Amino acid sequence: MGDLPRKRARSSAPHVSDLLLEIGVEELPYQFIAPALTLLREMMERLLKDQRLMFGAIRTMGTPRRLSLIVEGLAAQQTATVKETMGPPKSAAFDQAGQPTKAALGFAATHGVAIKDLEVRRTAKGEYLFAVKREEGRHASAVLIEWLPTVIGGLTFPKTMKWNDSGVRFARPIRWLVAMYGNTVLPFRMAGVMASNRTLGHRVVGGGRWIRLKHAASYPTLLEQGGVIVEPERRRELIRQQIDAICRESGLVLHEDEVLLEQAIYSTELPTALLGSFKEAYLDVPEEVLMTSMKEHQGFFSLRYKETGRLAPHFMAVANTRMEDMSLVRAGNERVLEARLADAKFFFEDDRKVRLSERVPKLSGVTFHQQLGTMAQKQERVKRLAGFIAACLRSTSEDLRLICERAASLAKADLVTGIVGEFPELQGIMGSVYALHDGESAEVAMAIREQYLPKGMEGECPRTEAGRILALADRLDSLAAFFHVGIVPTGSEDPFALRRQATAIVRIIVEADLRADLTSIVTKARHLVCEDGIAGLPDAESHGVRLVIEFILERLRHYCRVVYGFREDVIEAVVKAVGDQSLDLVDLIRKMKALQAVTAKPEFNALIIGFKRVHRLVTKEQWTREAVDATRFQHDAESRLYQMMTKAYELAKVSIPAGEYDRTLEALIALKPAIDGFFTEVLVNVEDQVVRQNRLSLLKDIDELFLSFADFSQIVVQGS
Amino acid sequence: MTFQELIFKLQQFWAEQGCVIHQPYDMEMGAGTFHPATFLRALGPEPWRSAYVQPCRRPTDGRYGDNPNRLQHYYQFQVVLKPAPDNIQDLYLRSLARVGIDYKRHDVRFMQDDWESPTLGAWGLGWEVRLDGMEITQFTYFQEIGGVELSPVTGEITYGTERIAMYLQHVNSVFDLAWTDSITYRDLHHETEVQGSRYNFEEGDVPMLMHLFQAYEAECKRLLAKVDKRLTLPAYDYCIKASHAFNLLDARGAISVAERTGYIARVRALAKRCAERYIEERAAMGYPLLRGSG
Repeated sequence: MGDLPRKRARSSAPHVSDLLLEIGVEELPYQFIAPALTLLREMMERLLKDQRLMFGAIRTMGTPRRLSLIVEGLAAQQTATVKETMGPPKSAAFDQAGQPTKAALGFAATHGVAIKDLEVRRTAKGEYLFAVKREEGRHASAVLIEWLPTVIGGLTFPKTMKWNDSGVRFARPIRWLVAMYGNTVLPFRMAGVMASNRTLGHRVVGGGRWIRLKHAASYPTLLEQGGVIVEPERRRELIRQQIDAICRESGLVLHEDEVLLEQAIYSTELPTALLGSFKEAYLDVPEEVLMTSMKEHQGFFSLRYKETGRLAPHFMAVANTRMEDMSLVRAGNERVLEARLADAKFFFEDDRKVRLSERVPKLSGVTFHQQLGTMAQKQERVKRLAGFIAACLRSTSEDLRLICERAASLAKADLVTGIVGEFPELQGIMGSVYALHDGESAEVAMAIREQYLPKGMEGECPRTEAGRILALADRLDSLAAFFHVGIVPTGSEDPFALRRQATAIVRIIVEADLRADLTSIVTKARHLVCEDGIAGLPDAESHGVRLVIEFILERLRHYCRVVYGFREDVIEAVVKAVGDQSLDLVDLIRKMKALQAVTAKPEFNALIIGFKRVHRLVTKEQWTREAVDATRFQHDAESRLYQMMTKAYELAKVSIPAGEYDRTLEALIALKPAIDGFFTEVLVNVEDQVVRQNRLSLLKDIDELFLSFADFSQIVVQGS
Repeated sequence: MTFQELIFKLQQFWAEQGCVIHQPYDMEMGAGTFHPATFLRALGPEPWRSAYVQPCRRPTDGRYGDNPNRLQHYYQFQVVLKPAPDNIQDLYLRSLARVGIDYKRHDVRFMQDDWESPTLGAWGLGWEVRLDGMEITQFTYFQEIGGVELSPVTGEITYGTERIAMYLQHVNSVFDLAWTDSITYRDLHHETEVQGSRYNFEEGDVPMLMHLFQAYEAECKRLLAKVDKRLTLPAYDYCIKASHAFNLLDARGAISVAERTGYIARVRALAKRCAERYIEERAAMGYPLLRGSG
């Protein structure tokens, strides 16, 4: 290729070239890189559009030491534009001698156009002068030199710093800049650094030598020669291949972990996966502890035996270097992990010397929240609430209540163990391990383990009944307590993740089909918080329960949208109909399902239109309601509607409490012809007050019948 | 390489970079950052380069000499470069080579680790440096000290001397380190750990420590209140003392979680005031170290 004559490329001068920008930095936090690259691309796109520079594709790439961007096929010149400005009217622009007036001269000067080039155009208002200016595009290089510093300075990060007297803020110091258009350097200065065509390779493998770049196209290749794989996707592939090869050879299976993989991709320039080992003896420690220690402290993947699925005494590390002999690196990593696991094993063994029940008193030294007392207090409240919930659930036996209360009375004790002190994310898990060790029943241990499930919209829910009850009690107590003192999420502020807790409550109840009255449970939770002597807001008494219920209903709405995809108005119709009485989330969802199903029926829209007419009338009109008197009917349509309504009413009286919502809705839909007939034949507001009152009372009965199922006034008639 | 040779080499290397080889400060402190050669010198416009060993006391980290990696008394090697030079990372890597760590044969990583000291009202961004997965150094670009935004920015490098020596000597317990060819770290410091832990966790006299904290705080404030006299340096000494008294109380479990933040805020208030006063005093003195630097 290199020997071919280059005549052709020369003869037709290229109108486009590639842009290469590289911001060379000291090691960025790995989580910052992908978002910064996205932002860099967006800003570059905006710049090029604003500056009328045509371009092909934009590619970004980066490592901890560089954020890079290539624009392919970038026009050498801005697209020319024609700018037209209207000036004074022709009549005011020239005097009788046809000489330009001051107005015309001034206008021409302002727009930098010669008098003779001003155009006269006919407009709706008459003839006017126009300055028509063709702006030839500037060279891309000039535009880029002017604007690239702004693009770089426009990158934002969660945390920034200053490092020299340029005053520029960035996530870490900028140490070099590459900016090239085609093979020309774009010499701008930024943060005390002059852009050039030189970059640095890998700290070690690249030998610290500067690499002279020729153009964007060869950038990734030249960097690779310098020990840097600049494209994150290529690093991902490479790590995968390396891991797969090691797993194949060793007969081990990787414990997949996307977080760790991302960390490996974005904290390396030249990733090399390597297999390390630890002593079999550490396998006595629960695998969650070993895996957490490997992941959180060292960023290592865990491995399992292919045949048994059990944790293997090995780990996968991803180093940021490559050499013939990686044994020194492996040995170093093994030694560090050894010390970590020795610590974990020590804590684990030490923890088991003290029974969980003996740790409980220590919880009075642990603050739950400054305004909400200690963990000991919380645990006691949760215990009593769990007992209450267990008693509320219809299918419950005495045993379940005892299991719940026992689990609750130990639930928080693991917070004062060594392992949980080291790894807070193992709370619950360690409690369950230690509970079994103390000789507690499997049910109690499982409930302790499951108390923090689910973590949010994702993740599994508790599987045992006691686990569900404990998890509910823990969350409901937190909601009741925080709301009591006025710590309520607002906008994006939710420091105690109360939304997630409410979502967990919804998921546990709905997914496990728990039928219980949530209002009475929340009332109980609030009552326990008050009894604990926690000073609440002045108005907490009057609407404390209602606020918590509304907060949970808000999460229910969200859940129904995301999980079931119910229509917004269907959700609203059912949720808005919730009164102050009992509240059964499972039942609400069944109602929504039934309602959502009938929205598809052809007569549904017409029924809603009819209902809304009824609803509007009885809300708007003034009259004295009395029992409907059939002898006062004057039209068949009235009697027909009355008969149909009575039939539907009788049915609803049975079907709604029985939860037979399909039947109820069928009966309501069956009213449609009668309602339509009524409005066609009957005038409601007639002179005769007795007749009018009777008609309005009939409509009121209809209205109430509908509302007894859901708030149909929320339904939006679609497609009309 | 013995433990003391490691220190000699680091001192020699950084002396060659124009650092004042300071001596440890003669007071108990939790980190080398408390040394006036860092905390105060990082303030204001005067250039400064210094390196020193600082014995550090962290009462809650004591393990009675039973844990091979945790100590309530250990040695940091501290380097401060103000302004932080552009090649500060390279200088650091060269210092590793000087003490015998051929970083080309290892995996050296700069992993994000942002530093914050609520007690000193200070924060900065930087890394922990890992050598084959082991944290050996803390690297920080200071942004604020005593609540004062810094300009120029100081680069701080804090070597974990024990960690590095353990690596070089291939030992798994800090107590097995050779301090010299014939004396081990155990010979010098095992008993320090046993007795120190005993005092910190069991014997510290809480009412006395409580009294000391208050007395140190009061003395610091009294000195700072004398605006007509320059007394910031002794005032800062009492700020250091108050901080250590707090650490001892903390180790004795005498401070509840709720009270903790309150105590920390009290020390921070002292540190802030000392920082502000120091800047005023140096300005009044005409920034003596600006001489000759243009």
